Amino acid sequence: MSAPATTSDTSGHHEPSKFHVYIQIAMILAVITGVEVVLVYMPIVKWLVVTALVVLSAVKFMFVIFFFMHLRWDKVFCTILFFIGLILAGFTMFALLHLFGSEAGKPLSAAALDFARLAIG
Amino acid sequence: MSSHAATGLIDHHHDHTTSTGIPNKKLLWWAFLASDCMFFGALISSHLVYRLNPPPGNAIPTQIFNIELTSFSTFILLMSSLLMALAVSAIQRGNVKSTRLMLLGTMFFGCIFLGGQVFEFTHFVEVKHMTLSNSIFGSTFFTLTGTHGTHVAIGVLLLGMMYVRTFKPAAGGGLFTNFAHLLAVCVVMGVSFIYLVPGLIEVIYGASLGDLLRHHALPFAVGAAACAALVWFARGSTVVEFGEQNAVDVESIGLYWHFVDIVWIIIFTAVYLLEYL
Repeated sequence: MSAPATTSDTSGHHEPSKFHVYIQIAMILAVITGVEVVLVYMPIVKWLVVTALVVLSAVKFMFVIFFFMHLRWDKVFCTILFFIGLILAGFTMFALLHLFGSEAGKPLSAAALDFARLAIG
Repeated sequence: MSSHAATGLIDHHHDHTTSTGIPNKKLLWWAFLASDCMFFGALISSHLVYRLNPPPGNAIPTQIFNIELTSFSTFILLMSSLLMALAVSAIQRGNVKSTRLMLLGTMFFGCIFLGGQVFEFTHFVEVKHMTLSNSIFGSTFFTLTGTHGTHVAIGVLLLGMMYVRTFKPAAGGGLFTNFAHLLAVCVVMGVSFIYLVPGLIEVIYGASLGDLLRHHALPFAVGAAACAALVWFARGSTVVEFGEQNAVDVESIGLYWHFVDIVWIIIFTAVYLLEYL
């Protein structure tokens, strides 16, 4: 904007600029996203692509939380607090996927569903 | 704020006046984001459970998705995170003018992302006939991505409030002006992501620009007037209250914005990319 931004703060000390770090990380994130999109069209074995996608997403995730969200420079307690939530979410996902991945947890087919409805009356 | 603020030395990463050494506002946001992780974890796993065990008659995602548009939206959201990080960096150096520019840029990119989602949802419902209730896939997909989109919209609103706050005069007062300023920001952003961005995507896919302007003439006129109001509000040269001492406020909003970005990183891989294998 064109407005002169006059501030009441006149202190001479400022944070050193992280401009170049942020630009480099943004470029890395953009390149990783491009690689991810290309990967799914490559004739590579499925398990390898899935592993690569998970690893690349985790790398992007870590770059954002440690650099853009400043965890690298903040007190370690912030990292612990966030990872408590993250680990709990991870375990919840793991538990749900396994619970509903079992034979008894799978959704019924249309025919089995009709049969079950008739049996209930 | 840090106890060093009074001496002109602001430590933006530690606060010696709190028992944890972390500014309370920042700690509150981290605690909220940790709880939000569990919220999105439950939504993502619900979607994956039904994708791994699809019920009969379920929609086929690869026939519905537009991976080019989603990849573009992902790129835009990542770049909005860069602008947000630069906004925090600017205010930590006391540069209010640059902070405003970066906040506006972040809001603009957020609106492009939201506009892409509005176009995607409209396309899915009207062209692909996938609604919230006619398939399990539709239910879990719209719930998950819609919740994320709502988070992005709330983020844009919070950024707008922070942007308006940077104009608050040091002398006090100006409540009505601030309210009108925020209203103008909301109108511009609303028109952008509801009409302008989805309309421009349709133009890219072959629709007529003239038709777009004719169909949405009124919202575009209101948006243009609100844009002019934004320029008018930004013309002032008064001394503002906002400065380096408010860096923790901008950083807190930034944490929320980066969080919606990392959630999208997971959604993009788990919901979109894995379908193409």
